[in-house]
Amino acid sequence: MNRRLPVNFIIGAVLVALVVGTAALSLVWTPHDATQLTISNKFAAPSSTHWLGTDQLGRDVLSQLMAGARNSMAVALVAVLLGGSVGVALGLLASAIGGWVEDGVMRLADLGFAFPALLFAIMLAAVFGPSLTNAVLAIAFINIPVFARVTRGAANQVWTYDYVLASRAAGLNRFAISRDHILPNIAAAIIVQATIEFAVAILAEAALSYLGLGAQPPASSWGRILSEAQTLMYIAPQLAIYPGLCIVVAVVGFGLLGDGLRDMSDPRLSRER
Amino acid sequence: MFELDDFSVSFGSGTALRYANLEIREGDRLGIVGESGSGKTMLALCLMGMAPDAATISGRLSIDGQDMTHANERLWQQMRARRVAMIFQEPMTALNPLRRIGDTVMEPLIVHDGLSRAQARMRVLALLEEVGIPDPPARMRMFPHELSGGQRQRVLIALALACNPALLIADEPTTALDANVALRITDLLVRLAHERGMALVFITHDLAAVARTTENIVVMYGGDMVERGPTAQVLANPAHPYTKGLLGARPDPTAPARDANGKRRRLPTLPGTVPPLSALPQGCRFSGRCAVELDYCATTRAPDHAVDANRAAACHLLGGVKP
Repeated sequence: MNRRLPVNFIIGAVLVALVVGTAALSLVWTPHDATQLTISNKFAAPSSTHWLGTDQLGRDVLSQLMAGARNSMAVALVAVLLGGSVGVALGLLASAIGGWVEDGVMRLADLGFAFPALLFAIMLAAVFGPSLTNAVLAIAFINIPVFARVTRGAANQVWTYDYVLASRAAGLNRFAISRDHILPNIAAAIIVQATIEFAVAILAEAALSYLGLGAQPPASSWGRILSEAQTLMYIAPQLAIYPGLCIVVAVVGFGLLGDGLRDMSDPRLSRER
Repeated sequence: MFELDDFSVSFGSGTALRYANLEIREGDRLGIVGESGSGKTMLALCLMGMAPDAATISGRLSIDGQDMTHANERLWQQMRARRVAMIFQEPMTALNPLRRIGDTVMEPLIVHDGLSRAQARMRVLALLEEVGIPDPPARMRMFPHELSGGQRQRVLIALALACNPALLIADEPTTALDANVALRITDLLVRLAHERGMALVFITHDLAAVARTTENIVVMYGGDMVERGPTAQVLANPAHPYTKGLLGARPDPTAPARDANGKRRRLPTLPGTVPPLSALPQGCRFSGRCAVELDYCATTRAPDHAVDANRAAACHLLGGVKP
């Protein structure tokens, strides 16, 4: 394999590795306790003890950002896995059965698309109270139609392939075919979509936490750090810039990684390069 | 065993198969020949219960006396693999590229016959041996891309035979293979059919292959079965104008390359092309291209006329009318 990797894949992979590495590191080590208040040391400038300084309550900024990375990754992972599993299952089902089941699932997906995610999250928060779990559920929910649509489209194509015909002729039922023949052959498309949805989920989590519908204090979240720093924009603009940058790096990273994976999985593109 | 009575398949206004009558008995070896678009593959898919969802089916199809014309998918799944199995034209694409061939062939055994993986493995080894694949234990672990076209077709035959079907449908099994390999595959199919007492429906446009493999033949054109009878007799002495044209179109390697005037001799062809489904003539499908057409051929469907004791052809000319 001396094929050159796409540039967007390399940049994406580096950024993602940075974010995921930071999140993983925060599990075992942060420079300080992210929730440790030291009011006497508020708005400290960057120093050897506080690399990015401290915030309005004297908490270590770097430690908070690292804990926030962990939070973002966890939320995005659970939401995408949850929404992806349900969506993929629905898409496979729609494609395998066809007819009114397919139409029904796809119209429901359209409905899901038409429903603003933020509105759904606010609704959940209004009914069950704001919590990280509800934020995860809301993000998972908006992922279902996306995955259902991608899966059904890719699966419908695979259903026309000769080897699917051959396995039908061998007497396999639609579910066995979906599991053994369709799913492995559309896995690439699903993984690409999952990577891109990961970026969307990070953004959604930040937005929900910013609005106070996601991570609740004292848990760290980029969105929440951003909303707390907003009122201090004229005093300490860096407190808002850091979490903003983190969000940008994570979203752009996963976005580029997804794009790069798609380029790699599409032989037409790789030949043109 | 398998019976079709006035079986028709249509899509909207187009008819893919019209009043097909066919009986396949145990151990029969039947050839189906015709051009692309003549309805051969549609016939095969219908025998498998795999007609496209959009198809409208009329008439009757029965298997072992059971009416399967409008049978549901579940009932068909019971029939497939056990009563009827099929191999396809393109061995290159008929195997899942991401699965080891052993897993692919084991699958129907596990699903249908309820065998354990170990039992299924033993059966697959025997099957691969039977279809002439060398070193089955090693081949089982290979992916399709590691095998040649002929080997893949053998794997597909093993897959089709896994649950001991009473009828094997081979839809142009050799079209994608080179001549030498094709010959070996056709011989393999005949041998397997003979050894297992299995009926074989061999769909092809290779007239030499059909002569080699089958006892009886059905000639199809535009969705009609235009001629039927013992293979040797039909090929030696065709009765239907289409069959005559088809046989006349075989290249003659002994003929000189240039005619008396020194012009390059052209291969004999049938005039025109098969019209699309929606534009087929209402009567005899071959009217418009037929050299001995009568004035009512285009509007009146020709019934089967007996040619002799066990042969029939659907042509008005055989009904006692003088051309």
